[in-house]
Amino acid sequence: MIKSSFRFIISAGKKILSVLIISITLLMVLMRLSYAAVGCSLSDPDRDVKRLFPESTGYRTDFITVKDTGGEALYKKIEQELGDKLDNIYETIDVPYAFYGILKGKEVIGYIHGVNQKGEYGSLQLIIATDLKGKILNFYYQRMSSPEAGKFMDKNFTDQFIGLTLEDFVKGNVSVSDPSKNSRVDFQATLRGIKKNLILLNELKKITQE
Amino acid sequence: MRVVIIAALATAFLVPQEAFAEQALFYKEINLIGGYSDREHWIGKSAELMNSLGFEYYKKFSNDYGDFLTADLQMRMAYDSAEPRDDAWGLQIHNAWLQYKLNSAQRVKFGHFDVPFGLEQVLDTHGTLLQTLADANIGFKQDWGFALDGALPNFDYNAALQIGSGMSIYRKDGSFLATTRIGTPTGRNLQGGISLMYGKVLESIGMFTFPRAELVCDKTVLKKRVGLDGQYLFGPYLMKAELAYGKDENKNVIGYLYELDYTLPKLQNCELQAQFQSWQHDLNKRGSDDSTLSVGVAYKLNSQITLRAAVAHDFNLMEGGEDDKVLFQVYYFGR
Repeated sequence: MIKSSFRFIISAGKKILSVLIISITLLMVLMRLSYAAVGCSLSDPDRDVKRLFPESTGYRTDFITVKDTGGEALYKKIEQELGDKLDNIYETIDVPYAFYGILKGKEVIGYIHGVNQKGEYGSLQLIIATDLKGKILNFYYQRMSSPEAGKFMDKNFTDQFIGLTLEDFVKGNVSVSDPSKNSRVDFQATLRGIKKNLILLNELKKITQE
Repeated sequence: MRVVIIAALATAFLVPQEAFAEQALFYKEINLIGGYSDREHWIGKSAELMNSLGFEYYKKFSNDYGDFLTADLQMRMAYDSAEPRDDAWGLQIHNAWLQYKLNSAQRVKFGHFDVPFGLEQVLDTHGTLLQTLADANIGFKQDWGFALDGALPNFDYNAALQIGSGMSIYRKDGSFLATTRIGTPTGRNLQGGISLMYGKVLESIGMFTFPRAELVCDKTVLKKRVGLDGQYLFGPYLMKAELAYGKDENKNVIGYLYELDYTLPKLQNCELQAQFQSWQHDLNKRGSDDSTLSVGVAYKLNSQITLRAAVAHDFNLMEGGEDDKVLFQVYYFGR
């Protein structure tokens, strides 16, 4: 009985060890080859596009990464423009960002782009709609994990971003006040996320259009 | 057959990223899972997951007037540790669909895709240890057929007619599955949905598409259901719940699930999860339920790899008795 139990444990141990060795090897190989997995796409682009651009007749989705567009140099440039380090899990160089080019007939009339942003209690998803020059026409949260989410998602707050451009964020011309009582971190995260969104739109779409 | 599948997967893994246009995404997937159960001892699978190697290819097609077609192919070469070695390998096709946009509020979909019933429709449980009620309720998460879906300003709708055989393709005893779900938009912190189902469903053993999973029998089971589901995101907490009630032939059945997820604010790549789910196969028969309490943790190691562990206690298995189980998973999903 003891002998058979011992044999069972040895055999199981060998199996687990084999699986672990194969797993680690495979993962190491893949990590060398790997690209990041997730960006922030619209939960329902058909509805969102129609709501944000009622005059639109269609849209085109493009997936663009910093890695493919400008590589390490562009990644560093984006960090510099943002004035902050990018997160090594959620903001890696190879995140495929989904850009929605909004069409009226064949003509592009604007863009919609979303980013994930780390908030106090979890990820925020910040979506902006802009005109062709990058001026914000609309902003909303697709996901907001703050306990004071209602205050942030209220149009009285989100509409204050309408008309702002990347230049306003760079020059500090943003005079939006925190709508929350105890969620300063989420307010700061919102400002960072929108600025990041505008930088990515500027850097990735501009280069793509050239 | 196996050689062809392995060659296809190997080719997919070796194709350089540059081969794909900017309207396409290609992901590789590796799922490694193992654990221990009081009843089965060492196990290499969960109810839904096996050790597997796979990929997902997602593509948007567009013309001068915008996107008009979306395609998704997601498949795995999986190893079923409960089967003899010669029968253990098989191909699982999860997503294999084309979705054509009729207009901004209507799309039509063909292929193999999620059955629009309950929470499964709005959650991504493709690689997770904790699952929804779908498997106990319907017998599978995805089926072959076509669907009409869309988004109106205040709700989403989805209606599907599928063949009622799940992962593999069978047409026997007039099998079919008609389902519909109407729900609030998925971007809201508080979401809800109501679902209906009517169909003659084939029950199979296993999850392989090729070779085809064996059927329990050639007769279908007539299923009628109504379901409710909801989710609420509040700070670091995400609550999920669903309820399904109806009939399997002449038996009244009911199932429910409650899950609470908690993201650690200081370590947001770590999530704690607790779930209770129960499925009563015959409301008039005592002890006919499968009830499981699971406690799990998911830790995102980096942008591609997630480590998961779960401890589950089965209070009452359908075949009788209790069970304790622990499962560990290394999940890779990356481009």
